[in-house]
This record gives sequence, structure tokens and C-alpha cells, in this order.
Amino acid sequence: MNRVGFALKWFLFVWMVVVIWAAFMWIPSAEGFKGESSRIVFFHVPTAWVATLAFLVSCIASGMYLWRREPKYDFGAAVSAGLGLLYAVLATVTGAIFAKIMWGAYWNWDPRQTSITILLLIYAAYFALRSAVADPEKRATLSAVYSILAFVTVPFLMFIVPRIYFSLHPDVMTNADPDNSLDSAHLIVLLASLAGFTGLSVWLYSVGTRIEKIRHRRRQEVL
Amino acid sequence: MSRWLAEALAVAAKDLRAEFRTRVALNSLALFALTTLAAVSYTIGPYRLAAEDRPFLLSVLLWIVIFFAALAGLDRSFVKEEESHTAPLLRLAAAPTVVWAGKLLYNLVLIFVLMAMLAPLFCVLMGFEIAMPWRFVVVLAVGGYGLAVITTIVAAIIAQAMTRGALFSVLSLPLLLPLLIIVIEGTRAVAMGDLASFSESLRAMITMAGAMTIVSAFLFPIVWRD
Repeated sequence: MNRVGFALKWFLFVWMVVVIWAAFMWIPSAEGFKGESSRIVFFHVPTAWVATLAFLVSCIASGMYLWRREPKYDFGAAVSAGLGLLYAVLATVTGAIFAKIMWGAYWNWDPRQTSITILLLIYAAYFALRSAVADPEKRATLSAVYSILAFVTVPFLMFIVPRIYFSLHPDVMTNADPDNSLDSAHLIVLLASLAGFTGLSVWLYSVGTRIEKIRHRRRQEVL
Repeated sequence: MSRWLAEALAVAAKDLRAEFRTRVALNSLALFALTTLAAVSYTIGPYRLAAEDRPFLLSVLLWIVIFFAALAGLDRSFVKEEESHTAPLLRLAAAPTVVWAGKLLYNLVLIFVLMAMLAPLFCVLMGFEIAMPWRFVVVLAVGGYGLAVITTIVAAIIAQAMTRGALFSVLSLPLLLPLLIIVIEGTRAVAMGDLASFSESLRAMITMAGAMTIVSAFLFPIVWRD
């Protein structure tokens, strides 16, 4: 495992370098965007994707904790929620930069911006709850319940709220507009970037859960 | 099933009886709502807003008053059981889903009492004209139900934690925000007589309240079991 893990880590490193090079140097700037702003899609979409994935993992790990009651699932849920929060912030920042270049303002309460703000609030509240309960088992149970509740609201933020209001955000999920579709070179780099970011978050997740396990063991040694 | 319902009603009735002895929750709900309404009505009143802005701004204000008043009073439902140490007895006396349903009914009654008092008063004081009054009642009922479902499960969670008062708002508001946005849109739609938009937001409201009902019915026994 260790040698494979080491090789994978270096592979990931090379992969991300290639993705960054391709995103900035290889791909020509897309038409219909101001300046070089289209390149941000190779980072904005993967961070948003990884954030969604991390929240999904957090929800599944919370469910597993409630079912099996093993501490490792609680670590998984907490680490994953932390990663999701980090990537959601990155997606917000890259999105705001793109909005500034394309539409002239960093922040305009576009439905997507509103929904990501609520998402950030929800997971910030998750950590507020974690810090408010001292007993580890009770903390794990209560935060698992809250995490599942939070995940139920996510589809409403992502799909329903932007539908009710007019949004400038390009519609990625239901791509009905043929002008919005990507050409094949862009698609390849985007998919490579998605894979790279997913790999990166898997690696971060495994490091995070290992740290939590060590902390847990240390606490038990002290007791 | 009928036995389950009877037990749930008994839990709700017990809470309502205890509530009417002290009226702590009802007083804080009502006073919060009336104070905010007085402030809003004094500053804005029926003439201050431009006609085209009215449906938007008044529906936002109405729901802000309702939601924040709810946050001021609805955390009591479980916290009072923990504070008076009656929770263990309730655990012995009734099944977890019965307790959940009872508390939900109790919160629902409180919210509907609040709304029955506040909504007409708001419409009169602010000159809020509703094009489709019966559909407005539907929006209030479904929105109030969603509010009750979410605050019930969050109240159950925070009753187990420390620093309860602050945590209730912190945990409730993010979960309530999508619902708040949708009910505001629905209220604007009924005020303007916009049937398509009303139907869309009503469907979103029902989906959200339904999903939350099912999820909290499943999760509540885990929180309650301790």
C-alpha cells in the first residue's frame, strides 16, 4: 500500500502539472469570453464538483456512522465536510473572479452565488455544532444527523432556487444550448482537471482521516 | 395507527397544557412578532413604498418577521424537557416517533397561532393587498409546516448540546434559508396574482417540507435515544 501510495502521489503531482500547463498554455482562449477568462473553467468546475462530491461523501459517512457506530466513519464525515467547505470557498472565489471579468462585478447575488453562500453557511453551522458538543460519541451522532439534514437541502439550493430566479450562470447540468457546449480539446482538459482534482481530494481525505485516527488514539492513551 | 396518532396527540396536548400554564414560548413568539411589526409599520407604513416594489418588499418583511419570531420561541419544545429533567420519563412513556410527531404538532399549533394573529395584522397595517387570498392561506400553511418540521428536529439536536440558545439560530437558519426564499417567492406570486409562479413555488415548498418530514422522522429516534 505504501509503495503504491507513493507512486500514486507522484503520478498525481505530474498529472496536475500537466493539467495546469494545458489549461494555461495548450488550449486557445475560447471565443465569446472576454480575454483569457474562459480558462478559469478548468479550475472552477472541478472545485465545484469536488465540493459536491465531498458533501456527498460526508453525508454517506454520516449515514454509515449512524448505522455502524464506528468512530472512523465520524472522522470521514468531518474530514470530508472540511474538504467540501474548502473547495466550496475555492469555487466561490474563482466564480467571483470570472463574474468580475465577464459581467463587471465580483458579487451580485446571482442565484448560484446565493445558493453557494447558503451551502457555506450550512457547513459552517455543522462545525459550530461539532464544537458545541464535548462528548465524542454524542458529537458524532448529532453532527451525523445534521449532516444528513443539510444534504437534503442541497438539491433545493443547486437546482430549484436557480430555476425560480433568472441566473447568468451557464447551465452545465442541462446543457440544452448548443452554443454553450465545449469543443473536444476543452472537454479533454476539463475532464483531466476533474480527474486530477478528484484524485487530489482523495489524497487529502486519506491524510485527514489518518490525522484524525492518530488524534483519537492519543486521546484514548491519555484516558 | 390510530393508537400512534392518539399518543402523539397526547404528547402535543401535554405540551400545550404546560405551555398555557406559563405561556413562555407563546409570549416570546408574540412579543417578538409584534415588536418587529411595530418597528416595520412605524418606519414604512402603508404609503412609503412605490407600488411596483410593494409585493416584493412586503412579502420579504412578512416572512422575516415570522421566521425570526419562530426562532425566538420554538427552541423551547425540547430544551424545556431537558431543563426540567422530564426527558427520561418521556423516553420511557412514549415511542420516539410519537414524541417527534407530538412535538411537531405542538410547534405547528404555535406557528399557526402566530400566523393567524400576525398575517392579518401585517396586511392591515402595511396595506398589503393580496390578489389571491385563499392561495395566500395555502402558502402560509405549507410554509409554516416546513418551518415547524425543520425547527422541531433542530430543537431536538440542540437540546443535547451546550450553548443552546445561540446554537438554535445557527443551525436552523441555513436549513431554513432555501425554504424562506421559496415562500417569499410564493407570497409575492399570490400578492400579484401570478399563478404560474405560485404553482412553481408551491411545488418546491411541498417537496422540501415533504423531504424534511421523512428525513427527520427517520433521524429523530437516533437523536432522541441519547
